[in-house]
Amino acid sequence: MFMAPKPIEGEKRVFMTGNEVVAWAATAAGAEIMYGYPITPQNEIMHYWTRMAPKYGRKFLQTEDEISAGFTTVGGVLAGKRAFTATAGPGNTLMQEPMSMAEMMRLPTVLVVTQRGGPSTATVIYSQQELTMTCFGGNGEGMRIVYSTSGHQDLYDYTIKAFNTAWKYRFPTFVLGDGYQSKMREPVTIYDPEARNISMVPAEAYMGNPGTPGVDRDPVHLRNTYNMEEELLKVINDNMATYESIAPEIVEYQEEEVEDAEVLLISHGIVSRAAQGAMKLLREEGFKVGYFRPITVRPFPAEQLRERAEKAKCLLVIESAYGQLKRIVTDSLYGCTTTIKSYMKPGESVTVEEVVEKVRSLY
Amino acid sequence: MAKGARIALAGEGGQGVQSVAEIITEAAYEEGREALYIPNFGVEQRGGVSVAYVQISDEPIGSPKFKTADIVIALSPRAIERTKKYVGNETIFVYDADMEGVEESLPDNAAKVLAIPAIRIAKEELHPRVFNVVIMGAVIGATGVVSLERAKQAIEKKLGYKFEKDPSLREMNFKALEYGMRLVKEKEL
Repeated sequence: MFMAPKPIEGEKRVFMTGNEVVAWAATAAGAEIMYGYPITPQNEIMHYWTRMAPKYGRKFLQTEDEISAGFTTVGGVLAGKRAFTATAGPGNTLMQEPMSMAEMMRLPTVLVVTQRGGPSTATVIYSQQELTMTCFGGNGEGMRIVYSTSGHQDLYDYTIKAFNTAWKYRFPTFVLGDGYQSKMREPVTIYDPEARNISMVPAEAYMGNPGTPGVDRDPVHLRNTYNMEEELLKVINDNMATYESIAPEIVEYQEEEVEDAEVLLISHGIVSRAAQGAMKLLREEGFKVGYFRPITVRPFPAEQLRERAEKAKCLLVIESAYGQLKRIVTDSLYGCTTTIKSYMKPGESVTVEEVVEKVRSLY
Repeated sequence: MAKGARIALAGEGGQGVQSVAEIITEAAYEEGREALYIPNFGVEQRGGVSVAYVQISDEPIGSPKFKTADIVIALSPRAIERTKKYVGNETIFVYDADMEGVEESLPDNAAKVLAIPAIRIAKEELHPRVFNVVIMGAVIGATGVVSLERAKQAIEKKLGYKFEKDPSLREMNFKALEYGMRLVKEKEL
């Protein structure tokens, strides 16, 4: 097994950009290789990784485009490497092809996405418009795990966790950040996973293992091509059954003041910081407002949300996209009669003040 | 206004507003405060208005952008247009006094609107290259978010390698910082 030199002993408090945070987290998690192709706003993940890689015995390959970066990540995983890549916007679009292959073959790829505006090239700054694509992109069924981060501590914690989730459950795993998180600087505690009793799930080679297939060991038969509809159906059904059975252990969410909430604010990622701030201010003014944030946007904490939603009078979905989160919420709550309102700003950020104003207008 | 501050800093690309924001937040972090800085950036390699959003507080900071700033500093006519929307009735709006024909576009809802001759002072009494340090001094003078000592340490950290080659640069940068602080204090904030 690959024993990587440690970049961090114990833990330390630092002040850095989110892109740096991701590079440190991947290094601390023992990632062995990054495959990458540059695109704003995540370029510096690659830059910091390439700076750190030689120091800590890691590798890097710059490919000719994102399709290739995605497929080489798939290749790295097949060879038993804890491999990852990172991209954004149009790059995420191109990576859907390799990621759907990873989904079909149940490969533990790790992809860090820092959302930018869309459609197409749009802005290089920020959005939450890659939610649907990251959860359900490609010609597949969304058998993926997607952690939506809200800041630097999340970026660090969930980048490390993504490798473990991926290798434990063998489904492609995503860290869904955004350009703000990429570029902003804020304090964060970085640590050696071992110092927090987090042990890294070992990576194993799928192919090229010693022995004669069928004699010394079972043959490896990895497929992404099927001749018969029936064959494919069986594989998808089996994989989906596995996915659904593990989903309850993977689901994560955060909530506050939900018990007596009349208005429940639902948001993910960095927008949840505005929602949480607004909730606090509104509570001080006497408004019964609660806060619910899915951390895994896929699988989605549907049951948990339903329980809270049924007790509330109104749900307010807040997002920097045109209803991408709202669609997941609506689907999860089918049959629940609580009113669902939304505050949608595709490609633009949301401030505390706006949320406060919007909630007041609901009363 | 020593406690916390929300600062929007805007200028033309190359005027150095992002470095100012970076140094101030770094200094505040080193002083044990909560600090968050986010640059606004576009697809251009150069040119265009550059905006930096800085928040310093004693509480953990929520969303990286805000609706209303405590202090807005605009260093070009386009930057005035761009940052007007962050002005509220408690905002101090600072702009460079050498801009001509901007009176019409200045915000009319700010608590105070201050014109400071930063560009001229940097050019005539210091060196044009320390213009952004004068601005940094003005931000610190207006908000008190970090101490002068800590600000100097942060500059040292960022530019120390240049100061080693030419110690007179250190003196000039520190002088620019103090000059900037005085500029706003003279306006009796």
